Amino acid sequence: MSEQLRPEGIEGVDFKGPYAVGAYAKFLQGRMRDVARVQVFGEVFNMRRSRGAKVYFELRDGDGALPCSMWRTDFEQLGLAADAVVDGAQIVVAGGPDYYPGSRTSSPSFSFHVTGVRVAGEGDLLAQLDRLRKALHSEGLFEPQKRLHRPVLPRTIGVVTGEGGKARDDVLAGLRRRGWGGRVVWAFAPVQDRHAAPRITQALQDLAAVDEVEVIVVARGGGSLADLFAFCDETLCRTVAMLRLPVTSVGHHTDRTLIDDVAAVSCSTPTHAAESAVPLHCGEARASAARCAGALQRHGRHAVVVRARALAQLSRAPAEHVARHRGRLHQWLREIRAAGRRGCERRRRDIQTRAVVLNRKVGAARGPEAEARRGRLESLTAAIAAHDPQRVVARGYAMVEDRAGEVVTTAAAARAARDVRLRFSDADVDARIQEQ
Amino acid sequence: MNETTQHTYETATARIEEIIRRLDSGEAGLRETLDLCKEGRELVEFCAAELDAVGQGLEELRLDELVARLEQRPTEGS
Repeated sequence: MSEQLRPEGIEGVDFKGPYAVGAYAKFLQGRMRDVARVQVFGEVFNMRRSRGAKVYFELRDGDGALPCSMWRTDFEQLGLAADAVVDGAQIVVAGGPDYYPGSRTSSPSFSFHVTGVRVAGEGDLLAQLDRLRKALHSEGLFEPQKRLHRPVLPRTIGVVTGEGGKARDDVLAGLRRRGWGGRVVWAFAPVQDRHAAPRITQALQDLAAVDEVEVIVVARGGGSLADLFAFCDETLCRTVAMLRLPVTSVGHHTDRTLIDDVAAVSCSTPTHAAESAVPLHCGEARASAARCAGALQRHGRHAVVVRARALAQLSRAPAEHVARHRGRLHQWLREIRAAGRRGCERRRRDIQTRAVVLNRKVGAARGPEAEARRGRLESLTAAIAAHDPQRVVARGYAMVEDRAGEVVTTAAAARAARDVRLRFSDADVDARIQEQ
Repeated sequence: MNETTQHTYETATARIEEIIRRLDSGEAGLRETLDLCKEGRELVEFCAAELDAVGQGLEELRLDELVARLEQRPTEGS
């Protein structure tokens, strides 16, 4: 920057300058690099092995922290095991402060430039965490939450999470996937700040104070152990252990916190936590309820129908009995008729047989004697006919009968009869006898 | 109905399963079958009502909003 453009300094301030910031940044870099190289020990947090030229991490203890960077090539030349320098590991680093002055397009940064590393052992924080875990376990504080009743279908769920975090969306997505459409009560609290434990504790107590809330989910995203240390806070864990409501915590396979041990359920993701808070899949439950309703309907109908059929069967029995007997009677009747027909037929055949025999006998009786008898009969017939009065009348005589039809053969009888009938061959004539 | 109002969803479904097991066994008489069917139908209706209660669509509330709403209830009632 040219001298002509340098602005005036602040009036009344005795400091040197003003200097151009780039020049001062470079000056600062030089002074940093002049600071004596030292060895520093602490616990590794937020280890980042990006693809860039440098490896970044923080070194922390109970009193402070130091951002560190190391050339990737130097780090790899150390030949350390992959899990040797991870979050929580206690290490000793060698190096000194450095300052990257930045530029118009890049931000400046301060870091402790590490040139050497030695792994010292398990971190104090992890050891402290382990001691606290054992203490809570020995006091039986892992158990009370597990014994709480967890409703399968809560209507109201309390959720403690960060207001802007992805965990919030994951919880909602998980609940929707269960087909659950109840009420979610959000109690927002910072979840990635190691000093957030009191806020989370308060949120849990506030949710538990509301009668409507039936279960609580504490949801957080993943992060470094340092960031999640809030969930290892002793007061928070003791509060959760004694809470009246079951708490589902979200742990991760890689960063299990103490709250995961004391909570009723520990899940690996916010989505699973939501599903654990509503164990029932509402869609499946509806289908199951429909199946049960159908089964009950069938059983009820079946019980009635089977018995109704049995009753109908019983009521039909007398009629069937009568029908059976009627059928038997009909059968007997048919048999009797058939037997009658057979008897008639047999007698008819017998009679025919006898007729044939008689005919044969009649035929045998015919012969000369019969002819003679017929001749004699014919002569007798002719003799009788010769004496028939009608033949005399036919010859022109008349026959006199009285009213009674008796033949009048004498004159005295004719007088006595008075009214007579004269029978001629062609017709009869009535006549009256008159004496002159 | 007093019996069903004392149920939770879990106890109701457990009782329904018990009823169906009993009915499936075929050992229940007609009167018992009809009584069990009636009880079962009431329980299924109770479960359906519980499902309906969480089937109206997800409602989101902040804790302070819920507390404010709950505090208003007594004044609305009076």
